[in-house]
Amino acid sequence: MSKKVKIVKGSGGFGGPLVIGINGKKDKVMYVTGGHKPAIVDKICEITGASAVNGFETSVPEDEIMAAVIDCGGTLRCGIYPQKGIPTINIMATGKSGPLRQYITEEIYVSNVDVDQVSVAGEDEGAEQASETVQQASSEETEKKEKTESEATYSKDKKIMETRAEQENKSLLTKIGLGAGKVINTFYQASRDAVETMLHTVIPFMGFVALLIGIIQGSGIGDLFANIMSPLAGNIWGLMVIGFVCSLPFLSPLLGPGGVIGQVLGTLIGVEIGKGNIPPNLALPALFAINTQNAADFIPVGLGLAEAETKTIEVGVPSVLYSRFLNGVPRVFVAWLASFGLYK
Amino acid sequence: MDFIVKLAEGFINLFQTGADTFIDWMGSIVPLVLMLLIAMNTLIQLIGENRINKIAQKSAGNPLLRYMVLPFLGSFMLANPMLHSLGRFLPEKYKPSYFAAAGQFAHTSNGIFPHINPAELFIFLGIASGIQQLGLPMTDLAIRYLLVGLVMNFVGGWVTDFTTSYVEKQQKVKLSKKVNIEG
Repeated sequence: MSKKVKIVKGSGGFGGPLVIGINGKKDKVMYVTGGHKPAIVDKICEITGASAVNGFETSVPEDEIMAAVIDCGGTLRCGIYPQKGIPTINIMATGKSGPLRQYITEEIYVSNVDVDQVSVAGEDEGAEQASETVQQASSEETEKKEKTESEATYSKDKKIMETRAEQENKSLLTKIGLGAGKVINTFYQASRDAVETMLHTVIPFMGFVALLIGIIQGSGIGDLFANIMSPLAGNIWGLMVIGFVCSLPFLSPLLGPGGVIGQVLGTLIGVEIGKGNIPPNLALPALFAINTQNAADFIPVGLGLAEAETKTIEVGVPSVLYSRFLNGVPRVFVAWLASFGLYK
Repeated sequence: MDFIVKLAEGFINLFQTGADTFIDWMGSIVPLVLMLLIAMNTLIQLIGENRINKIAQKSAGNPLLRYMVLPFLGSFMLANPMLHSLGRFLPEKYKPSYFAAAGQFAHTSNGIFPHINPAELFIFLGIASGIQQLGLPMTDLAIRYLLVGLVMNFVGGWVTDFTTSYVEKQQKVKLSKKVNIEG
């Protein structure tokens, strides 16, 4: 039962096709999807004979993971597993995005996958394997290429610095020059990173939110929303209700991914504040109310980054969900107290 | 015929409103955030990750350091998601609590320091753009967001210590309170 499974991207998806199968110790499909189990996990397991593990409840040593199934909207998780070299299947249509986007490549990542995109890899496994090794080889090659390229560009401006830095009796002028060069390079690199982040992460979201605002304000829906949102977001009790709902331990991991729900709620409330339907000082408690679910979907991954043991993750997930729940409403209330005198 | 024209105008109007909002942001928020991002990225590079790691190692003992100072500095220096990696210097028992506090610091400080979590900036910006529309300064809101966060995120981390003890009992396991750093 150790067939290989072929996974292609769905329409509008990115990456792939991936061909994966059990390989030595790597026999587990881990899904980190806020608790529910996507149907493709079962199908992949059925074909390959791998076992499914809920990454939200427990953790698996990285060297036992055959593939990771995620539902990331483009902020974090979609990059974390590719970074670790684990083939990653995203059930959302996310492409290269998020802070770890440079690790998301066609060789290791495929998105917008549903049951239809999962199939048994071709009859002649040999050929498939060959193509896989070719793929791996080519990916290694490109990696190498990238490496040498980056090394090359690095050494270009480094050589002068290095040779200068190696000189034993540096003159004051050389020292100043080296220091200034380092600072300027740092600034330039920081600027490149920042522009990249803006282009790939902030501006796309801005476009989406702007369209949303346009549709809300331009059509009649805005007034409808105002009727619903104003009584809810327009006073502290309503905000506490929003905070309460978002922090419910069984809901919060589902509301978390990408902070998208929080960001949309924030935009809706912002529009109402702009129109004067909600007093501006309530912006502060509102900020806390729409985000009581903050990072609830990210707990196992965050704990993984902290190199927590499996036991800790099993305890940590419910623990943080409970503490988010206990804290949610008080946070909104304290923020409301702190909002007195704001914009008066 | 008039009806169709009205309909078409209304349809285009949806996108025109969106486009106006978008270009307004491109002219105001984007350059500001970009400049902040560049400055912060540079500062982080110049200070270096090693220093913040040293602070993390010394913060294990005291809850105030652990859930307030460390995640605040960590979010500023390492940004989301790498700030969670600082948890590795803490004992197993406190890792969930650190995560709870750090996850929230990735938002509450985001109003003033957008480099921390640019991908989720609109939690703050969505609401703050309403404030901006009224002609009021966003900074007031951002500062109060940070200050309330400073206190309440600490409380959040600290409360998680208790919920962790509770879940420990429920699952009948005991997490170590000793620091265990490998490598």
